[in-house]
Amino acid sequence: MGKVIQISPITRIEGHAKIAIHLDDRGDVRDTFLHITSLRGFEKFVEGRPAEEIPRIVTRICGICPWMHHLAASKAVDAAFGVTPPPAGSLLREICQLLAHISDKILHFFFLAAPDFVLGPDADYSVRNVMGIVKAAPDLAARIVKMRQLGQMMLERFAGRAIHPVAGVVGGFSRPMLEQERQELLRDAGTLLDFSCYALDFAKDTVFAKYMDVFQEMGTITTGFLGTVDRTSGALRLYDGRQRLMKADGSCTNFEGDSYTDHIGEHVEAWSFGKMPYAKSWQEGFSLDPAAPAGIYRANTLARINVCDGISTPRAQAALEEFRMAFGRPAQQTILYHYARLIELIYVCERVMELLQRPEVTDTRIRAEAGPKAGRGVGIVEAPRGTLIHDYTTDRNGCITKANLIVGTTHNIAPMHMSVKQAATSLIRGGVYDQGILNRIEMAVRAYDP
Amino acid sequence: MAVRAVLEWLNSCSGCEIAILNIGEALIPLVSEHLDIVHAPILMDHKCLGQCGEGSEIEIPEADIGIVSGGVANTEHLEVLLAMREKCRLLIALGTCATHGGIPALMNGQGLGEGIKGVFATSGTDPCSVPDVGVPAALDRVYACDEKVRIDLFLPGCPPNPALIAEVLTAVAQGRDPVQPGKSVCDTCQVLREGKGAVSKVRRFLVNADYNAEEPVQRMRCLLEQGFMCMGPVTAAGCAAAGLPPSCIRVGVPCRGCFGPVRRDGNQMLDMMNALASNGIDFKSVVDRRSLLRFSGAHGLLRQIRTRPVRERG
Amino acid sequence: MGFEPKIIAFCCNWCSYAAADLAGTSRIQYPHNVRIIRVMCSGMVHPELVLDALSHGADGVMVIGCHLGECHYQDGNHKALARSDMITELLDDMGYENERYSISWVSSSEPDRLARAFTNMTERIRKMGPVDLQNPAGQ
Ligand code: SF4
Ligand code: SF4
Ligand code: SF4
Ligand code: FES
Repeated sequence: MGKVIQISPITRIEGHAKIAIHLDDRGDVRDTFLHITSLRGFEKFVEGRPAEEIPRIVTRICGICPWMHHLAASKAVDAAFGVTPPPAGSLLREICQLLAHISDKILHFFFLAAPDFVLGPDADYSVRNVMGIVKAAPDLAARIVKMRQLGQMMLERFAGRAIHPVAGVVGGFSRPMLEQERQELLRDAGTLLDFSCYALDFAKDTVFAKYMDVFQEMGTITTGFLGTVDRTSGALRLYDGRQRLMKADGSCTNFEGDSYTDHIGEHVEAWSFGKMPYAKSWQEGFSLDPAAPAGIYRANTLARINVCDGISTPRAQAALEEFRMAFGRPAQQTILYHYARLIELIYVCERVMELLQRPEVTDTRIRAEAGPKAGRGVGIVEAPRGTLIHDYTTDRNGCITKANLIVGTTHNIAPMHMSVKQAATSLIRGGVYDQGILNRIEMAVRAYDP
Repeated sequence: MAVRAVLEWLNSCSGCEIAILNIGEALIPLVSEHLDIVHAPILMDHKCLGQCGEGSEIEIPEADIGIVSGGVANTEHLEVLLAMREKCRLLIALGTCATHGGIPALMNGQGLGEGIKGVFATSGTDPCSVPDVGVPAALDRVYACDEKVRIDLFLPGCPPNPALIAEVLTAVAQGRDPVQPGKSVCDTCQVLREGKGAVSKVRRFLVNADYNAEEPVQRMRCLLEQGFMCMGPVTAAGCAAAGLPPSCIRVGVPCRGCFGPVRRDGNQMLDMMNALASNGIDFKSVVDRRSLLRFSGAHGLLRQIRTRPVRERG
Repeated sequence: MGFEPKIIAFCCNWCSYAAADLAGTSRIQYPHNVRIIRVMCSGMVHPELVLDALSHGADGVMVIGCHLGECHYQDGNHKALARSDMITELLDDMGYENERYSISWVSSSEPDRLARAFTNMTERIRKMGPVDLQNPAGQ
């Protein structure tokens, strides 16, 4: 028996996970495991609760993307109770979702992932972090801190809370948008759009040019992709649309959210609390072997950018065209998650400005009256980390009897596991490794933004 | 001299950590001058099992202050918490999960073990057993941190208010006692209160409260007086941003108690039910009253209800 | 045999505690298992006191006030009664059998009625056995 290297915990990600790399006697990689170590059991303890309370309970699944859970649950409970929010209600929800995407993308790219690029993957661990960026590039640091905060404060000003929100309610939204607020939000969204264009340029210079090779030598995996697109145009959508599952060869099937169980299965391995969704409808089973994967698809930014037919806003569309010219469709390299993330950042800024200019956004009819009912509802939104599915069944009193949740990150657990295996196998040979190599293996995980 | 700080998260959602980041620009001088963060999984790469993965026991560096978020639900959380206690001079429980169990302690109402089994038996999941290889084993229930180790400072909130986090960190760095609110959410709520009124039942939040968003919140009638369940009376103050009403009330949504009980060892369900009963409001109109403990189900307050045994007579 | 329950009785100053006094002076016997705590009015007994008593080792808790309509603070015992239904339900939530709690009314001139209430409660709890703090609802 060879030794086991434990990367514990994986750092600069959201959540609790570790990597175990098992070496054989020669010091080559025999096997690797991505252990997801946390499990809180939301699917079970929401049972019995009044459904209208669920959107403000499930936010605690993730403090980085609470808005996504808040809104997916709101949509699911709407459907279970058979109510449709008035147009302004849906608009306000989507605006909040977009604002939350903005802060999240800045957080992920600049606070969590960028230290590897700005300071280098081999920099000492004590400086390879956002505090290190504060010291090494104070102007950049001041700007990113300010921009992320701006996104959070826009949410807080309008919706009361940025973290663990409450303003999305069954039937719509809890408060209307005032004209003055609309103008302020529009102004601030403009500032963020400028920043997001800068961010993509910055990354093209400092990240993709330099680090494509680093990622290349870690090996690649080839998978399908899952995302959400507009029902008519096939354009990228985050709040509403239909789901599109793409095979590695580029062929696609579309489906409506409430039939997700026909397309997606959830597989469990004994070494991880994270369930691994897979494409059941491909009827090829489930295999994590990087050489012959089965049922494996990816979600999150790169997936969305791959499955969509286009983007409905001009600057993001231009960036998408450039991206496709360079990397084709579907693009498979894991590092391109970062690239796709920044294209999406431009899209969300543009889209938020577009929505804020719709006349009905300040309408005061924001919530349809709902009554407790027996029913079932599936609510899907695109979270920063992937397609987020909330599925609830209610009883006569409108209390939850059954819940199934597929959280964005989980779609990528199987692919992350495979990427880790690829990276470890190609980077560790004959028992030779150091901190820099182990960090590169973690970078494969960080690209997915788990 | 900067104080050495370590951050850890247990059965948590990372919202507490985001709340720290939401201190905003004031964070930059805090981390570059006052605090020397030497371990914080969300932000930096110090590992618990050695930088090259060679260690076998959890190792946390010595520090002046330790900040821990999340409750304790498995053996790994417990090990990390014990290591934190051993290495930190001052240990701060950050967030309601750490101080009172938080939302994950809702699991205590059905039993942690049972619940976990249920999670892996949902209809969408392929048949499997509960994972047990390389993943930590669950404890018997979800605990608040002070049930397992001594905690020096409690900073509740789900998430805590960034301004209060900043106050606590600055105070600790300056070696003084932090100023923390000691009242209830209602005490910080500026809505219009007209007295008990004619409320005889509490309603579910299925329609919006009656208010005009163009007017200041001082013109909105208290939500409890409008007949909605609002937990302001039995919840610790602290969520309101300076000068503003409590953060849910501000957008017309009733309080659900996320800062935990007003007195640290209070019981939010009991206090709320008592407040209703003493005011002649039919307590049976509360649907699912156990979820009044949704933020504070640790400390043995939320328990599994089983069908009662028939006891032998005589 | 063997198990001797501990029972806490909150008695209001004006009626039930006076009755207890009278029971003493008239040498009326009641079980030694009952520990009386005098409160000014039954309406003062916060539900938390009931739970605190149970979680600190009491096996049963009684609240005893003046007859309805005779409370010396007008409606204190009505308040106590309104709460009492609630306490009964909540005890189940908290994992205690609700029979461990009782409320009753005794005037200052009814020492035997008080003694009977004490005896009945003691017998009831004796049959139930002690609170199992590890798993209060029993299994
Ligand atoms: S207290 Fe709230 S914000 Fe903090 S970890 Fe717990 S659920 Fe998340
Ligand atoms: S609205 Fe809620 S928090 Fe405000 S005073 Fe009324 S009960 Fe208290
Ligand atoms: S109003 Fe209540 S639930 Fe809302 S943030 Fe404040 S304490 Fe939490
Ligand atoms: S004084 Fe006896 S019950 Fe109020």
